Amino acid sequence: MKKVLSVFLALTMALAMCVTAVADDKPLAGTYDVKIWVAEAIVDLTKAQIDNYNATNEDGIVINPTIEAVSEADSATQMLLDVEAGGDLYCFAQDQFARLVQAGALAQLGAGASAFVTENNDAGTVAASTSGDAIYAYPLTADNGYFMYYDKSVIPEEDIDSLEKLIADCEGAQKYFAFEMQSSAWYLASFFFATGCKSEWKTDENGEFISVYDTFDSPEGLIAVKGMKKLVDSPFHVSAGGADQLANGAAILVSGTWDFAKASEILGDNMGVADLPSFEVDGTSYHLGSFNGCKLLGVKPQTDALKGAAMHRLAQYLTGEQCQMERFEAKAWGPSNLAAQASDAVKANPGLAALIAQNAYSVPQGQIHGSWWDVAKVIGDDVKNAADEAGLQQALDNYQEKIASLFTLDDSV
Amino acid sequence: MTHYSDLEFLKLSRGQKIGYKTASFFRSIPIGIANFFKKIGLGIGKGCKAVGREIADIGRTFRDGDIHTKMSFFIMGWGNLARGQILRGLMFLLFEIVFIGYMVLTGGYWLSMLPTLGTKGPVKELDPILDVFVTKYYDNSFKILLYGVLTLFFIAAFIYTWRVNIKQNKLAEQILKSGKKLKSGREDLRSMVDDKFHKTLLALPMTGIIVFTVLPIVFMILVAFTNYDGTHDGYYSNLFTWVGLDNFNTLLGWSSGNKAYSAAFGEILTWTLIWAFFATFTNYFLGMMVAMLINKKGIRLKKVWRTVLVLTIAVPQFISLLYVSKMFAKNGLINQGLMSLGWITQALPFWEDATWARITVILINIWIGIPYLMLITTGILMNIPQDLYESARIDGANAWQQYSKITLPYMLFVTGPYLLTSFTGNMNNFNVIYLLTGGAPTNPAASTAAGSVGYTDLLITWLFKITTGAESKYYMASVVGIMVFVVVALISLVVYSAMPSIKNEEDFQ
Repeated sequence: MKKVLSVFLALTMALAMCVTAVADDKPLAGTYDVKIWVAEAIVDLTKAQIDNYNATNEDGIVINPTIEAVSEADSATQMLLDVEAGGDLYCFAQDQFARLVQAGALAQLGAGASAFVTENNDAGTVAASTSGDAIYAYPLTADNGYFMYYDKSVIPEEDIDSLEKLIADCEGAQKYFAFEMQSSAWYLASFFFATGCKSEWKTDENGEFISVYDTFDSPEGLIAVKGMKKLVDSPFHVSAGGADQLANGAAILVSGTWDFAKASEILGDNMGVADLPSFEVDGTSYHLGSFNGCKLLGVKPQTDALKGAAMHRLAQYLTGEQCQMERFEAKAWGPSNLAAQASDAVKANPGLAALIAQNAYSVPQGQIHGSWWDVAKVIGDDVKNAADEAGLQQALDNYQEKIASLFTLDDSV
Repeated sequence: MTHYSDLEFLKLSRGQKIGYKTASFFRSIPIGIANFFKKIGLGIGKGCKAVGREIADIGRTFRDGDIHTKMSFFIMGWGNLARGQILRGLMFLLFEIVFIGYMVLTGGYWLSMLPTLGTKGPVKELDPILDVFVTKYYDNSFKILLYGVLTLFFIAAFIYTWRVNIKQNKLAEQILKSGKKLKSGREDLRSMVDDKFHKTLLALPMTGIIVFTVLPIVFMILVAFTNYDGTHDGYYSNLFTWVGLDNFNTLLGWSSGNKAYSAAFGEILTWTLIWAFFATFTNYFLGMMVAMLINKKGIRLKKVWRTVLVLTIAVPQFISLLYVSKMFAKNGLINQGLMSLGWITQALPFWEDATWARITVILINIWIGIPYLMLITTGILMNIPQDLYESARIDGANAWQQYSKITLPYMLFVTGPYLLTSFTGNMNNFNVIYLLTGGAPTNPAASTAAGSVGYTDLLITWLFKITTGAESKYYMASVVGIMVFVVVALISLVVYSAMPSIKNEEDFQ
């Protein structure tokens, strides 16, 4: 018996030495079949970037990619429907992050990869990739915010800092002011951030939401809805988004960089871009805030550690400075990488410049409970229907009552 | 309420007649519902009795049967083999072997896991050498539920086959006792294409229906009793498990707690019924009117009018509806046109105001619905015997009398079943609502019930929003689906039995 055991032990040791011997020398070397989901706009670019990675990486990793065009908005839904059929690497908008972590569709990053993310990306995008203390994704862009497009032939340059003047200009010219107040909490939060209101969530490392610290129902919140009331009461306010609005009689559109190309096509030389205006309540001026979000690249949880490690290496390459700059040059995607953000070319881009100007007033989006968007977006309608100040306060009270019934409230962050 | 005989009824004044008819219609609804439940009760009673009879018969067969019959209770097909029906015997035996093999190999596992739907979820581990997290997966609630149900179906099929096997033994004994011969395997095969040909033909479709229709329906119904959602997908995130009637409780609001769902459900159900009523009957009567107009003698270019109307069918609905939805937007074509004409100074709130939006969807639905009704009714109108109208005219009937006494009864008789199907179809009319409004405008009171519920949401679009919403509550969607079925089934049964085409089947033949 002892003999058998000793032979077995010797064999195991020999085997272990073999493994370590391989581990020392390029443990990840090999060919990996990888399914990658990226937005249609960057399919070809990603293909070229992966070819480049195969040619240059020092680990002996050869990626055999299948690149499929799945939009960032769609990929989370697709992943949640069927994780097994989902991409090994996939891009998604940050608002889907918590859902994906909860659904077990994102692999947690190891210590090295986590350090890579925190060291190279701006703080807002790192927060967007973090749940509890764990990092689950790689920041890909940092341009998911909104600012103002306007028609210079209608709006005089000197009016762009004042919401009241902009509304008057639109009404005077019978042109629309497109700002999604009734259909999207993402946009209407702008007024609340202007007066310093907060809505911040705590999450644990499994993507579960613990509590929310929310001050929308407060004296500052009341000021915010008074400002909002001015806008939604205007007969020329339209709660809609998309560059099409500029072609449909809108002189002002609040939107993001994704509409830049189309907006400049529609307005041509008349296109103006600026940060959001300020509104005035009781003699005090408040600059409109915004959410400032990002797109992320996630790795699907793998059962094979080698493939998992290779995926994370590839993800780091694809979200590194070089690839982010290439995406900026080809498609004007705003980088999250600190070194890329500091480059002159990025600073000179007009859309990104407006976004960066607006960033001074913006709030990093972080993690937000999916149902919050549905509850908060109702404020827009409630404010529109409010007859007086009591009605505005009622809108806030309704909101407060609903979040209290759905979520755990927190008194401090 | 008094009940009038035919003669008494004729003596009533016009108003009284209408009142009497309306009252008796509404009185018939609870009676219909009560009858429905009575029938269900009777059916269950009958079923129980039938099962009792079967068991008694099985017992008698065992007591009175010979040794071969008794052996067949344990080894299926034994009796057939012993009595020379080799083919049948082998088939039975084979089925038993396959069944036992399946149950031992996998069926037993699925069945044993069914009560818990799995006990061990995925485990995340850090591989320290490669500094990477890997996940190990264990039980899969989804598969357990699916294969568990499949196994139950298989067991039911086995019990049925076992019963057939015993019945055949009894029959074979009787046949042999009376001195006749049993069918040989060859004769059995021949009968499959002869007197048993219906069974041969139906075997494949029946299997298809059970596997592809009945099984998924049972599966979906069972989901309503679990907590299967975006964070409990049963394999990758967390296992899901049985929660009993909790979800029904949430939707119907039996006990205290979050009433958002029950409030939303009540409101949406009401609007769904209102919508289905208007969408069906406005289309029906207006479509009929248009058809009559075009059919009228002296109208020229009949074909042109018909073609113009049918054009709306030719364009795919999702294109025309999305387009129309944009047309009625606040800065859409209609509003801008009216403003530039100076007829209005502010945009009309077609999609912003609850009542406006509801009326607008009904009106737009008329626009899409009329051509279908026109096509259907044109044919039927031409089919009404002209001599009826001729004699009516000779008797001095005016146009309205002709319509209400000849055309309408005839139409209702022929299209009664169509009206019913289009009513249920409209209750589930996802396309029109989702493409036109997407449920908008949002109902502030219902925003805490999964998905943002709007004033024009039907149950079916709500179901869609729950499934694709922030929390992917599949279990709530399943509950809503069951409720839709219950409502539709109740209405269909009551209306169906009250329809002239069913009640007075002989009238127009």
